[in-house]
Amino acid sequence: MSALAAILPRGYLSATRAFVLLAAVSLLFADLAVTTMDPFGELRRMFAGLAAPDFAAIAGWSVVSTLAFAVVGVTLGAGAGFLLAIVFARSRTVRIACALVRSVHELFWALLLMQVFGLSAITGVLAIALPYAGICAKVYSEMIEEADLSALVALPKATSTVSAFFYARLPDLAVRMKTYTLYRLECAMRSTLVLGFIGLPTMGFYLESAFRQGRYAEAGALLLVFYVLIGSRRLWARARTLPLLFAAAILALPSMGGSGDVSSNLLRFGRAIMPAPLRNGDWLSLETWSRFGAWLRSIVTEQILPGALETLVLSQLALVATGAGALALLPLVSRRFTGRLGQPLGRILLVVVRSTPEYVLAYVLLQLFGPSMLPAIIALSIHNAGIIGYLMGRHVDGLAYRPDAPRGVNLYAYEVVPRAYGQFLAYLLYRWEIILRESAIFGILGVATLGFHVDAAISELRLDVAVVLILATGCMAIAVDALSRALRKSLRIERLPVRLSTASIDRA
Amino acid sequence: MRGEKTLVSRDGPHAEEPRREPGRLEARTPAPLIHLKNATAGYGGRAALRGIDLTIYAGERVALMGRSGAGKSTLVNLIHRELGGQVALAPQASALVDALSVFHNVYMGRLDRRSTLRNLWTLVRPAQADVAAVRETLALVELEAELFSKAGALSGGQRQRVSVARALYDGRPVIVADEPVSALDRRQGAAILARIAERSETTILVLHDAPLALDHVDRIVVLDDGRIVLDQPSRALSAADLAPFFEA
Amino acid sequence: MRRIVIAFAALLALCGQAFSQAAFVFTAIPDQDESRLVERFTKVAEYLQGKLGVSVKYLPVKSYPAAVTAFTNGDVQLAWFGGFTGVQARKANPGAQALAQGAEDAAFKTYFIANAATGLEKTADFPKEAAGKTFTFGARSSTSGRVMPEHFIRQAFPGKTPEQVFSRVGFSGDHSRTIQLVQSGAFEVGAVDYSVWDLDVKAGKVDAAKVKIIWESPPFPDYQWTVRGDVDETYGAGFTGRLKAALIEVTDRAILDPFGRSKFIPVDNAAYAPVEEVGKATGLLD
Repeated sequence: MSALAAILPRGYLSATRAFVLLAAVSLLFADLAVTTMDPFGELRRMFAGLAAPDFAAIAGWSVVSTLAFAVVGVTLGAGAGFLLAIVFARSRTVRIACALVRSVHELFWALLLMQVFGLSAITGVLAIALPYAGICAKVYSEMIEEADLSALVALPKATSTVSAFFYARLPDLAVRMKTYTLYRLECAMRSTLVLGFIGLPTMGFYLESAFRQGRYAEAGALLLVFYVLIGSRRLWARARTLPLLFAAAILALPSMGGSGDVSSNLLRFGRAIMPAPLRNGDWLSLETWSRFGAWLRSIVTEQILPGALETLVLSQLALVATGAGALALLPLVSRRFTGRLGQPLGRILLVVVRSTPEYVLAYVLLQLFGPSMLPAIIALSIHNAGIIGYLMGRHVDGLAYRPDAPRGVNLYAYEVVPRAYGQFLAYLLYRWEIILRESAIFGILGVATLGFHVDAAISELRLDVAVVLILATGCMAIAVDALSRALRKSLRIERLPVRLSTASIDRA
Repeated sequence: MRGEKTLVSRDGPHAEEPRREPGRLEARTPAPLIHLKNATAGYGGRAALRGIDLTIYAGERVALMGRSGAGKSTLVNLIHRELGGQVALAPQASALVDALSVFHNVYMGRLDRRSTLRNLWTLVRPAQADVAAVRETLALVELEAELFSKAGALSGGQRQRVSVARALYDGRPVIVADEPVSALDRRQGAAILARIAERSETTILVLHDAPLALDHVDRIVVLDDGRIVLDQPSRALSAADLAPFFEA
Repeated sequence: MRRIVIAFAALLALCGQAFSQAAFVFTAIPDQDESRLVERFTKVAEYLQGKLGVSVKYLPVKSYPAAVTAFTNGDVQLAWFGGFTGVQARKANPGAQALAQGAEDAAFKTYFIANAATGLEKTADFPKEAAGKTFTFGARSSTSGRVMPEHFIRQAFPGKTPEQVFSRVGFSGDHSRTIQLVQSGAFEVGAVDYSVWDLDVKAGKVDAAKVKIIWESPPFPDYQWTVRGDVDETYGAGFTGRLKAALIEVTDRAILDPFGRSKFIPVDNAAYAPVEEVGKATGLLD
């Protein structure tokens, strides 16, 4: 790590230059062709449909199961995450396990779980609960570390440990954890949408059909309902209503499929993910292992390396485009530039961009531009630039300005951007890993990232290959996360807030 | 408190040589509450206190004064640590738990005298008697109206008063308060200091308002750059005597 | 506020109850427009329910492998598979058997279609001049949209993969989508199931000025109904036989027309050996 620290850029400018340079190199490898001949005709039809939403076409049950999957998945994930958070700082094993489960995208989890639990509620719930447990464990443990301990000092000396914990530590933590967990609920609803794309009966299921078949009025209605659900989250998802919601959600989970025998499926799954040469060969024979080596080598050279390269190219381009987009959006969201009127608009904009999963955006853009890397880049940048731009807008409004500060472009160029740049980089670097994970799954939409090869392996029922590829994806996410951390440290911005929910605490 | 490294060197036991110290209890046989001799304390490797000689007797009302960074808070922490279980502390930043109500924040002053089970139950449903006692304490600082408000919703001045109320409710003989009235006006501040004086046997206060200090304590200790530069009965001092220590 | 939440919870709970009931469930590979699939299989479910005396349900899935997985996992007992997915499913679930295929499926074929802008014309032999164009398959494990076309491409260009033959290779996901993509010009050439092409032409979804057939492949066996080996245990002895008979007896045009099939005829696993061969040769099967 120290060798790495030596070559990492230490200044904001050199870091920016390095990223832009990497993106420029990536451009050489990127396939940005627009292959559809009439993208605007399709776009016109799409907007016409979205503008006249057909609410009658919505399958009401799908709204219920979207909520149910999200509520149950988050409750289980956050519960497990809380327990893990207690030992997180002390146990290396727990930290590694958490890093692994959260580095695998919900979509990949669902694809694997489907092999064992079929198209059942358990698949959907676990696909959310598993990665969320890993994420929550990490975030909760960070909260425990960051907690304000000053009240402990004022307690009488002989106060029992338990009383001290419940009075001086838990209340403060509970507020932050609650805010974060409820925010996770929102993420989970987005995840269920994506799970619908592979067959679970959430709103995503119908959204995919509607887009695929050009029923844009239905798609528009589904999206609007989804935005309203997310926008109104503060009304229905509260700490008090959560137990009730959980109980109701358990009852409401759809019991489709899943009638298969889980234990025999588990056994078959265990066999299927064992590398093919080992599955059928004699483990004591040298030849088996040499065939295993050849098997692994061919996966690495033919799938992992090209897939990883493509994933990196996509995520680097998307990262830089996100940064540029966020800086461009910033003035639209900041009160300093737009006045009081602009802010509510900025909020609505944020709800829309952060509620629309990148996957859905990419899917729509794919219809417009045809199958190249372009839809994926644009989708990733719109989504993330929207989020970062909004957070930056809030940050910029919170800065103190001298009374004679310049206005307009001068303010932007001389005050706002220079002063907020550290925070900007912190947000951007934090989302690097998120962008990478999404880049990987975009393969399922046809860009040849790692997900493309996972999709192929699953189509060929080669789960052993799929698992190796998913592990490779996870390792890549972990590596980028570590690099991002090292970089934030080297830029001395590691203590700045980076999470969307942290920023929303003061608004609550 | 985190990251603090405090090195204390004292020589001799507490009551080695009962000296006559200034203060209003000259007549009684002095019982030194705390006796520091050549005490040193550091913060992050930097010495914040050097060669501190200080003896405080039970029953004294002492004000610690000085510019910011002079070492007052470090001295308060040192005293708090030395006196342990006898002290009710009102720390500088009020140190309230924002997510809890004012009632619970004040109740925390007596957590050690109740069973853990009762403490946990109080979080859910406070007993009438406790509510009454806390309300009475809050009345002393004119905050009974905020009994069940969230601490996080209070103003800076209100937070200071809750912090004082917690120390009063604690009921220990010594109250150590670090800037307990800095966010209050002089009238309110005077009232709060009077309550503290009534309710404690010994008080050690960090103050920055000279007139207020002269009115409410009987001994003033001024720190500058980690050393004691003045230690006199307050009746022998005037605001003008203290002024030099606060000029830039 | 709390009342609203309670009422909402109660509603959720009620809805949940309505959905728990064991049934004979079948699925199908999602090879074309979903609305057409729902129409077609809802009718099949009603028909089978009347003939078999058990509750029959159709479980829609989003991808070919999801259909195979649902079958091997026992989520469904019966499936309308393509030639290749059927082979995959029966390999993973020993005891499963192919029951019936459409009369047309014994000699199925693929159309290679091209956007008019390419200037490609219909030929009797494999259209080698399509090399260098952009090309889309259907789903990755579609028989008529991927496995057989890839086989014919490899035959025409020995030693080359489709990626080496064409400038860009994509997987559209289903046949209706392949037609749309080639028609819109997103891809210049595509491989499509002939029955879906015919259905889409009939439905007026194909613009003859923009997209046309440039080649008809040699025949191969395709779609079939495949049932799990354990249904007799669950639904009583002789269930498989009754199911097979019920499928073959379908005469209602309202059921057959949406399939693009004239009738269903008996078939067995051995009929799909050629598809299995091709799958192995192209490296899609072990």
